[in-house]
Amino acid sequence: MDKFILNVIHRPELVPEYIDTSAQEGQTEEVSKKEVVSESLDIFRLQQNIAHQNGLRTTIQMTYSSLFNDECIEMAKQYHQEFGDEIGHTFLGLNCKEFRDKYHSKELAMWLFPMDLKQKIVVDSFELFKDVFGFYPTSTGSYFLDAELINFIKEKYPMIKTAIATCFEEGPKIFRHTNSSWYTLMDGSPWTAWIPSKKNTHAIAENEDDDIGIVALPHLSRDLLAIMDNAGDMFGTHPQNIIRGLIYEDDRLPYMYNLVDQYQVMKKFNKGFSYNLAYVGPGWMGKGGRWEAPYRILKKSYEDFIAYYGHLKSEGKIQDMTMTEFADWFRGNQPRSGPLVGLWKDLLYGTKNQAFWYADSKFRVQIDLKQGGAITDLRPYASKLTRPCGAGTKANQDASYPYIVHSRYRAGAFTHYAGEGAIKSCKVRHGAEEVDVSACRTTGAYDEGEGCRILNIRPVEIEFANLTIKLATTYTFKENTGEILISRKFIESSDPNAKIEIDEFLASCWGTTEYPEDLTGCVLSVIEKDGSRNELSYEYRCREYAADNIQSVEAVIPHVQTKVSLIPQSPKCGGYYEEGYSFAPNLKLGVVKTIGLNEELVTCLKVEQAK
Amino acid sequence: MSQGRAGKINYRCPNCLFRDIDFDLLYDKEENQYYCRRCNWEGMEEEILFQYAAYKRKYKDMLKRYTVEDILAKDEE
Repeated sequence: MDKFILNVIHRPELVPEYIDTSAQEGQTEEVSKKEVVSESLDIFRLQQNIAHQNGLRTTIQMTYSSLFNDECIEMAKQYHQEFGDEIGHTFLGLNCKEFRDKYHSKELAMWLFPMDLKQKIVVDSFELFKDVFGFYPTSTGSYFLDAELINFIKEKYPMIKTAIATCFEEGPKIFRHTNSSWYTLMDGSPWTAWIPSKKNTHAIAENEDDDIGIVALPHLSRDLLAIMDNAGDMFGTHPQNIIRGLIYEDDRLPYMYNLVDQYQVMKKFNKGFSYNLAYVGPGWMGKGGRWEAPYRILKKSYEDFIAYYGHLKSEGKIQDMTMTEFADWFRGNQPRSGPLVGLWKDLLYGTKNQAFWYADSKFRVQIDLKQGGAITDLRPYASKLTRPCGAGTKANQDASYPYIVHSRYRAGAFTHYAGEGAIKSCKVRHGAEEVDVSACRTTGAYDEGEGCRILNIRPVEIEFANLTIKLATTYTFKENTGEILISRKFIESSDPNAKIEIDEFLASCWGTTEYPEDLTGCVLSVIEKDGSRNELSYEYRCREYAADNIQSVEAVIPHVQTKVSLIPQSPKCGGYYEEGYSFAPNLKLGVVKTIGLNEELVTCLKVEQAK
Repeated sequence: MSQGRAGKINYRCPNCLFRDIDFDLLYDKEENQYYCRRCNWEGMEEEILFQYAAYKRKYKDMLKRYTVEDILAKDEE
């Protein structure tokens, strides 16, 4: 397969979040002002013209407000007739006079309404769409749609095939970036198209029974390395987001082309398939400019960006589809449960840094090659957490899928006197010396095997006072099993007789933000070779236990219904757990083995749903 | 002293930008000065632009074009 597919989406948002200046200081609030509506429609028209001039079809996502605007409805019909654009639907742009009169609410986020109102809005909006166009939409979207709402939509409107279901890694980093005012707290999804579980939108479906019935799309295709430590709203297929990040000089934004080209390269890791979604709301192209950028640059950046897609199309390197066409294609050509894979290279900071991403129905894993190939973010999709969001739910605004490792939110490699925070790494010991492999910068190479995806990490050199060694690491992801085989091989040594100790460890916790969550009640266990089990219930008492010859070590984190285990595949390995305490709120598991030159320790990291 | 208003150009506070917070500056026409309501930054337009330029220095490859071939070549390095 050689397929790079593009969705270009435009929405006539008649009262866009950013363009409506009526609520600015010194002016009274008045939605649906004529000049705002007129400018918004002009921008929509301009965006559509740019796409069509470059030979690209679009999906027009009709907003609630646009369904009351005759001019807009007529435009959508004409575009559909003349260019074959899809007339789709979105829950963005709800706010307008008609909406406020009917719902008496200023809430703008569909996923944050109480469920009864969500359902009412779905029916109201879809029936209105049908009245206007004579048919129901087959695509919809929002910044986020929880599984509970998608299930309702599918039950009531089974013709829906696809939805923009989340914004990739819009979470605490973006919340902070927006002065804690933009409530898109939704970390934890795949970065490209996927089929969600019926139980949780973020998680990839296990099988046909678990298939929620739509193809989910992430709002924008983002830089998989830049977003790890930065707000994603500066690094995506959205030129004005790039301008927001000040990644430009005058009207030059080569980074936006680099992003698209790196997504072309992603075909290499996904059996020939890659995907881009371009989606710029009208508020980003207002005549008044956006922050420091004048209209001239906002407009030109969009023209250049879309022209590049048009150029790729003319060269046969990309195929433009509407959202529904893509959903049909995806259903027919991609496996339901993934995996999705990316080995992303830095194209912005001038480093050799790389990040490896892997997702299937059991987990989403981020590996930071700059940190020796440590796992720095792990989301346990296997647990298929029921976690509705919005008013009236426990999560409310926090729509993220919880992590069990997050090195940037929760300290990661050793950063203070309490030891390491959340990370999956390995320590190498010789005598009294110890080196965490996460201190060794390296890069990776991708490979595939039968039913598995492989990340070969280039060997790292470790210097002790009187010994220098090289250690090679390989991750083998056994597709849709929840298992990763991690091999650490001692391949070179300044002393061929030297022995080193490998401590393959996992420091874990759970949460969705930077702040600690309660670990009370987690169960840590060491299961010895003879079957005996030593376990404790987590109480922040800093207890630990180790054994010389183990079957496995494991932790059950009931708060996220997840069991995580380290299972040695090599003979005669030791193992341990460490409880942690309130100033170091993690749990730690480890497998330990002493090896000589050309020997290896292989450990299986297993993530499964806790019963 | 009258209230601060949005300037002709809607600059963000450079100090907040450096800690990854987008926060609009206000303009004091009597002092011909921009100031931040969140932090303690205040200054002239030239200072804003100077700090923006410093902010961009972290993007060492900001103006570099990487094609598919360039990116694939990185795999082989």
